[in-house]
Amino acid sequence: MIILSLFTKTPMKLKLKYSLPFLLQVFLLSSCMNEAAVEPNTHRGNFESLWKIIDTRYCFLDYKNVNWDSIYTVYSAKVDTVKGELRFFDMMGNMLAELKDGHVNLYSDFNESRYWKWFTDYPDNFSLSLIKSSRYLGDDYLIAAGFKYKQIANGQIGYIYYESFADGFSDNNIAYIMNYFSACKGLIIDVRNNGGGSLDCSKQLASYFFQQETITGYIRHKTGYGHSDFSSPVAMKTPAHKTIQWQRPVVILTNRMSYSATNDFVNRMKQSPLGIIVGDKTGGGGALPLSSEIPNGWLVRFSSSPMYDANMVSTESGIDPDYPVSLRPNDEATGYDTIIERAITLIK
Amino acid sequence: MKNYCILLLTVFFSSTISAQNMEEQKYLLTTHTNTFGLSTLSFIDPYLSPLTYSGIGIHYESVSRRFLSPENTSISMQSKLNLEAAVTENPATTSSMNYLGLNYSWGLHYHLRPREGLRLLAGALLDADLGIKDVPRNVNNPVNMDMNANLNLSGIAMYDVFFWKRTFTLQLTMQTPVMGCMFVPGSGASYYEMFELGNLKDAIHFSSLHNKRGLNSAFTIAVPFNRSVWRFGCGLNLLNYSANDMVFRKNEFTFTVGTTFDMVTFGGRKNKAPRNFITTNN
Repeated sequence: MIILSLFTKTPMKLKLKYSLPFLLQVFLLSSCMNEAAVEPNTHRGNFESLWKIIDTRYCFLDYKNVNWDSIYTVYSAKVDTVKGELRFFDMMGNMLAELKDGHVNLYSDFNESRYWKWFTDYPDNFSLSLIKSSRYLGDDYLIAAGFKYKQIANGQIGYIYYESFADGFSDNNIAYIMNYFSACKGLIIDVRNNGGGSLDCSKQLASYFFQQETITGYIRHKTGYGHSDFSSPVAMKTPAHKTIQWQRPVVILTNRMSYSATNDFVNRMKQSPLGIIVGDKTGGGGALPLSSEIPNGWLVRFSSSPMYDANMVSTESGIDPDYPVSLRPNDEATGYDTIIERAITLIK
Repeated sequence: MKNYCILLLTVFFSSTISAQNMEEQKYLLTTHTNTFGLSTLSFIDPYLSPLTYSGIGIHYESVSRRFLSPENTSISMQSKLNLEAAVTENPATTSSMNYLGLNYSWGLHYHLRPREGLRLLAGALLDADLGIKDVPRNVNNPVNMDMNANLNLSGIAMYDVFFWKRTFTLQLTMQTPVMGCMFVPGSGASYYEMFELGNLKDAIHFSSLHNKRGLNSAFTIAVPFNRSVWRFGCGLNLLNYSANDMVFRKNEFTFTVGTTFDMVTFGGRKNKAPRNFITTNN
């Protein structure tokens, strides 16, 4: 303003007349742009900070009918009685476990809190030693990027075990694999015990099994402090790959540990005209997690952007298979994977 | 003999005219200042963390200023490029934030000379700002980008002080954003949703004094040596802006050192260098 007034030849009184209201306005405006208060780095401050992050940014409080205020009352009473960092960390981890969400974790330099009951309370429906037996992968399987693959059932079925969507792959990898399986009647993609990874990998892998771009889901994100303040849904599309297309049946094997990006892949494949889902219900994890920090530097990861299937049904609780099949102990004892065998039957 | 005399006179007068042209011809000098700086700074970026990250940074700044034309010494043109890198940590030192920033501004200043040795410049600058803040340990929100364009008010005061038979130039510069646009993601929006799915709704914001205020100031002293002019100084950069219920802050204090030099540029068909200027282009 001082600089501006240099241009003019108005009397000083006139300058003040116009300058003061302007400066006052700037001052008043500046008072309404305050940063959020940061709690002190004490047990109480860290507890309040963590509770508030979940209260304002976690996306499933209403969906899961969690009474977060009630949880505050319960755990707030414990804060001042907890002694030591380890016990304080456990208490904070227990509070987060009330959300029953595998995407919610607290990370410190000495521990990571987690909630695993979404798969530990259910049958495994998977045996690594079984799929590594000579009937399936054996010792002479091929490896391309994160894929372990081999022809099984007398060369009639292509079998791929994909352990993590964090393992990236290229079109070349897929082209070689599909060429190797070109004489097979169908393909099995085993994503049991695949805990997720990249959504880009999920989309890319699904794209080889679509003939046209398809809306396979939606995503939203938290926009306000209210528990149900969400943005409008945005379509998540699965494209059809331009040059690599698998044209025969493809069976996806799932269990409760098929989680997060794997859950997203299963959701996409459920809408593929070639896809058949066999096994157990997936573990869920139908939200994109983000992270934040509390004053003592611990990191908290939490679900932030809920994802839905094409009918706007949340995928957080998991995706039901087309053919529910469990691993029978008798089969396992005789070297048969019930779920793979059912997939072979479906393809044949 | 007669022809010889005419030739001599022609050569004599033509060289005189040429010398007079050299004296009368005005050349625009461009004042370049290149400075390096070391700064202490702090960030608040609620998209990445609610905590204040503080640390150190390094700068490079290049400023060029010249009058619009040799005849008009009231309005000058300025361009400025600022590059910055910084490493900061949260208060508990459990996480780091790396910052890379680039700012380019261009604008005009009106020159006032109220008294001998004092120059006051007032004007406006357009700037484009691109920065990347990276918190590697974050999940799905490890990066936030500073992308904005602003119209800034700019003021510069320069005062010459004679001391020890030398002229020291004190300079105070101040710049503040007035209006523009900026990219600020929603606190719950992921870069996956914004850039993979193309949902940039609520990410682009109009900025003005109601949601963005800043003051970028610097005080320097230009010290003439035998063959160069060195510039020493310090700067204070305060920036606050808010959008999507988040308030962002960047505070920075910088020590700078650099050199200032004037140069004249020639180029093109109409602006050829005189013959007594030696260039490697010939």
